Amino acid sequence: MPLRRSVRSVRLAPVALLLVLALCVPVPAQTPKSGGVLAIHPLSAPPSLSPHEESTIATVQPASACYNNLVYFDPARKQESESSIIPELAERWSWQDGHRNLVFLLRKDVKWHDGKPFTSQDVKYTFDAVRGAPDAAAKLRVNPRKLWYENVEHIEAPDSHTVIFRLKRPQPSLLLMLASGYSPVYPAHVPLAELKTKCVGTGPYKLKDYRPGEFIEFVRNPDYFVKGRPYLDGIKWVIIKDRSTQIAALQAGQLDVAGSGWNKANAETAKKGKPALVVQESDSNVNVNVLVNFKKAPLTDARVRRAVNLALDRKAFKEGPMLGAATFGGAMLPRPAGVWGLPAAEVATLPGMGDAAKQKAEARKLLADAGFGPANPLKLTVSTRAVAIYVDPASWMVDQLRQIGIEAVLEQIETGVWHPKMTRLDFQVALNLTGIGIDDPDANFFENFKCGSQRNFSGYCSEEIDRLMTQQSETLDRAARLKLVNEIDRRLQLEGARPVLGWQKQWAVHWRHVKAYPQHENSIYNVTRFQDVWLDK
Amino acid sequence: MARVVDSVELAGARLLPAEPRRRSAAARFIRRQPLGAAGMVLMVALLATALLADVLATHDPVRTSSHVLVAPGAEFWLGTDNLGRDLYSRVVHGARISLVIGIASTLLGAVLGGLIGLVSGYVGGTTDLLSQRVMDIMQALPILILALVLAASLGPSLPNAIVAISIPIVPRAARLIRASVLAIRELAYVEAARALGVRHPRVALRHILPNTIGPFIVLITAQLGGSILVEAALSFLGLGIPEPYPSWGRMLSIAAAEYAEKAPWLVIWPGLAISLAVFGTNLLGDALRDTLDPRLRGS
Amino acid sequence: MRGYVAKRLLIAVVTLVGMSMVIFALMRVAPGNIVDVIFESAGYVDQADKKQLERELGVDRPIVVQYTRWVAELLQGDLGKSYRYDMRAWTIIKPRLPVSLELAGLALLFSVLLGVPAGVVSAARQNRPVDYVLRVLSLAGLSMPSFWLGMVIILLFVRSVGWIPSVTYVSPLDDLRANLWQFVVPALAVGYRSSALIMRITRSAMLEVMREDYIRTARAKGQRGTLVVWRHALKNASLPVITLIGIEFAFLIGGLVVTETVFNLPGVARYLVDAIQFRDYPVVQNLVMFIAIVVVLANLAVDLLYAWVDPRIKYGRA
Repeated sequence: MPLRRSVRSVRLAPVALLLVLALCVPVPAQTPKSGGVLAIHPLSAPPSLSPHEESTIATVQPASACYNNLVYFDPARKQESESSIIPELAERWSWQDGHRNLVFLLRKDVKWHDGKPFTSQDVKYTFDAVRGAPDAAAKLRVNPRKLWYENVEHIEAPDSHTVIFRLKRPQPSLLLMLASGYSPVYPAHVPLAELKTKCVGTGPYKLKDYRPGEFIEFVRNPDYFVKGRPYLDGIKWVIIKDRSTQIAALQAGQLDVAGSGWNKANAETAKKGKPALVVQESDSNVNVNVLVNFKKAPLTDARVRRAVNLALDRKAFKEGPMLGAATFGGAMLPRPAGVWGLPAAEVATLPGMGDAAKQKAEARKLLADAGFGPANPLKLTVSTRAVAIYVDPASWMVDQLRQIGIEAVLEQIETGVWHPKMTRLDFQVALNLTGIGIDDPDANFFENFKCGSQRNFSGYCSEEIDRLMTQQSETLDRAARLKLVNEIDRRLQLEGARPVLGWQKQWAVHWRHVKAYPQHENSIYNVTRFQDVWLDK
Repeated sequence: MARVVDSVELAGARLLPAEPRRRSAAARFIRRQPLGAAGMVLMVALLATALLADVLATHDPVRTSSHVLVAPGAEFWLGTDNLGRDLYSRVVHGARISLVIGIASTLLGAVLGGLIGLVSGYVGGTTDLLSQRVMDIMQALPILILALVLAASLGPSLPNAIVAISIPIVPRAARLIRASVLAIRELAYVEAARALGVRHPRVALRHILPNTIGPFIVLITAQLGGSILVEAALSFLGLGIPEPYPSWGRMLSIAAAEYAEKAPWLVIWPGLAISLAVFGTNLLGDALRDTLDPRLRGS
Repeated sequence: MRGYVAKRLLIAVVTLVGMSMVIFALMRVAPGNIVDVIFESAGYVDQADKKQLERELGVDRPIVVQYTRWVAELLQGDLGKSYRYDMRAWTIIKPRLPVSLELAGLALLFSVLLGVPAGVVSAARQNRPVDYVLRVLSLAGLSMPSFWLGMVIILLFVRSVGWIPSVTYVSPLDDLRANLWQFVVPALAVGYRSSALIMRITRSAMLEVMREDYIRTARAKGQRGTLVVWRHALKNASLPVITLIGIEFAFLIGGLVVTETVFNLPGVARYLVDAIQFRDYPVVQNLVMFIAIVVVLANLAVDLLYAWVDPRIKYGRA
């Protein structure tokens, strides 16, 4: 008897052992398969295929497949920062002279899509044009990011595979700017005008067909310098204007990925119809903000500006126009998604964040102090772009202002007239959306808050803040820099330089067979190279 | 036309047939044209809704709230839109907008066109030839496209929308009135009036104009529906009435782009409202045409 | 007859010239020009750059100069360049033409197939219940915004069958079945409205004709009712119907604008709307001119057809 029992237990033991072993051994990661065409839609029809001449993600999305940067943000790491920068056209780089010179050592095995070899001349050509150098070989017809490279004194190409950026003062942020989707390297041998309608790059995909307003089709680049990549045979960016058509197309399987420009309701609708869909939600570094014209009466009065700021109940904004999906913060993307945001405890004390009734009462009082009231109501025009994603929050804003006795009306401005009007400061208050290219103070502050900047649509000017901006830009120590950045942010919020109503979220909704689809939590602009995406079909 | 001539007397007589007592005329109308009567009912309902919008609405049509995309229910009879605005109240106020725009632009276009047609038809000669060509030019383009280009040029605002929608009506009104004038101008009694020394403007105003009223009324009712539709299409394409006016067409445009599947009520009700309003004008217009000018029946 | 034709041709030409001036003027009424739009997508405005660009694009020349240049280009068949996309306008329009043509053609076909028989039946059974029902249905078709009808149809299809039209255009040469699937529904949406008008005209024309003496004589002579209706009446009622189809063509093009938008079809009309929104002058001007030419030619064709058929004109009353 005892023998038989021990025989039974002996026979069980190997099985148990195998089971334990099986559980301990990690399941091998799926091997990416090659093949397939990814069908996806951009935010809207791109005005051109040239990222250096546009400021809209609609261009960066498709064009990223075709180009490379010197360096790029690692698609696989959710938070973009200095530590997530990986080499692309540059193999190695190094800061010299206390962050005054940035040296890149370039790859030697890269070819443009038309077969010509890539050299340092292409880099010099591109960034001389972008920074508007007086001796640049080419001039961009329209140059939105000239300001990013203001600090570059000279670009040298001492040999065919070395480039040196010589700066006027230290600026660690330059490396991040070069990693942005807005900073691809252009070929020196192709005229700039041609790059608006065709794409000659070094990237993982070549442009196959571009039908404006219809689609942009890319095909795999067999000579790509990263061996074994890309996995996909091609990408098709299908332009669909209607949100509900985008949703329906995804559900019907005509799109593999969708979600650019979606809000929470859209993502929920898509998932509800087809529960097999995967929803990736994260922060986006796009905020809804209010432009207050510092130079136009009665907004020249700080009390009026503060009253307007206090009247806008941020929590109601989140529940209403944002459908419950938003985060709160100052001028820099709030943590944890953002690297430079104000601490949460401080954010909670910003105007508009507290008790709505109390703040509205305070706003009324401020208006009364400034001489406005039921007998003499303040008349304000809220301007915004004549596009649904602007008009909805603007309508909400008009309503909030009315609740404190301001006679607010909405004015819709058409495309083509919006930016000129804003630049001319021809408005009182405006509701605006700002997408920040990279999560970096240099990319945000100088453009939007520096005295006299073309995109400083508020007419806000403070020499003290300008000085602090430059100081933080030169600061190498991360902790010290963070303190400076927060200080600037704090002051901007106190003075209501550009009150932020909320930071938007982003959604990417796709089928399960789409693997390794990248999404970054502090930017929307730097992920669409799709070099590592593959389809499990 | 025979009817008119028979009853005319030479000097300053009534030019329309002696009207039988109002009540039986209306009753006859209802009996003979049941569809027209139905149209009348719809039109009256539309008018009433427009006038009484403030009373009929349950909420402020522009007040946003946190109840976004709520399905129809006790509090929000037709549900809410993406900004938490009550759809029923917006649809009710939309009647006011549609009617104002429809009537304003139709009247503007018809009166302008009618005057041009009157002068053109009466004076004849080079003036007529020239104005006819101009009218041809304006009519060469499809109504929507002309309105689209106009609205885009002028910019989104209420008065601009009215102008943009009225312009395509001008040539159509001019053509109609001109045809009428041409027919009447040759008639004996008009020649007689001239022979008696009645001056041109007086002839035009007293003798010719009143006889064009019939076709004019038919034109206005028919075009009213058309104007409402054009405004809806313009707003749908984003070029019509701006916020915060609750235009039916605008409501459809936002719904189409965003929430059609999640909130179908946003698509159904504004569209139904437009259709019913235009249906009413078309029914009434048809019936009026049959009554006032049988020759034009069904055209 | 020849005098008639010549007169009509002259009128057509004058109309087109006038149209060109009107269109040109209209696109310049608005504040902001194409250079503003180009900077718009860049997100800023730099005055120096702007002046330079204006000079480059010839936007700063006097209006008359710009107009004459445009007309000269048009006469050479040059449809200009899209400022927005920096491509020749023809390159963008060419692949879109078959889409719009197919949609318009199918819509016209549906409208005739639905409208003419409905009109005939309605006239033959005048004032009976069938007539009322058909008249109400056709009036409903005229009252609904066609884009709303399209939206409702899509909603129904999506909810019930989970079907949506393909988001990319499928050419009939590549896959006829998929292509038809893509076009049938929007063509019906546009065609329903046109069919309503055709039905009404057919009905009234038939009623007019049926009152004619010779029809009554034929009926009195005992010829079978249906035969009489179909053979004699329809033949003579066809003239106004043909005229209407010519006029309807212009109307259809307007209908294309909203339908292509709702059904996401990459046609010429939808491109026109985009171009208008982005103030892409060359494209808008040329497209609208193009449409005007098509409409004027269609009307001319109808006029000539009329002349050929109507003996009063044919034999010299000009």
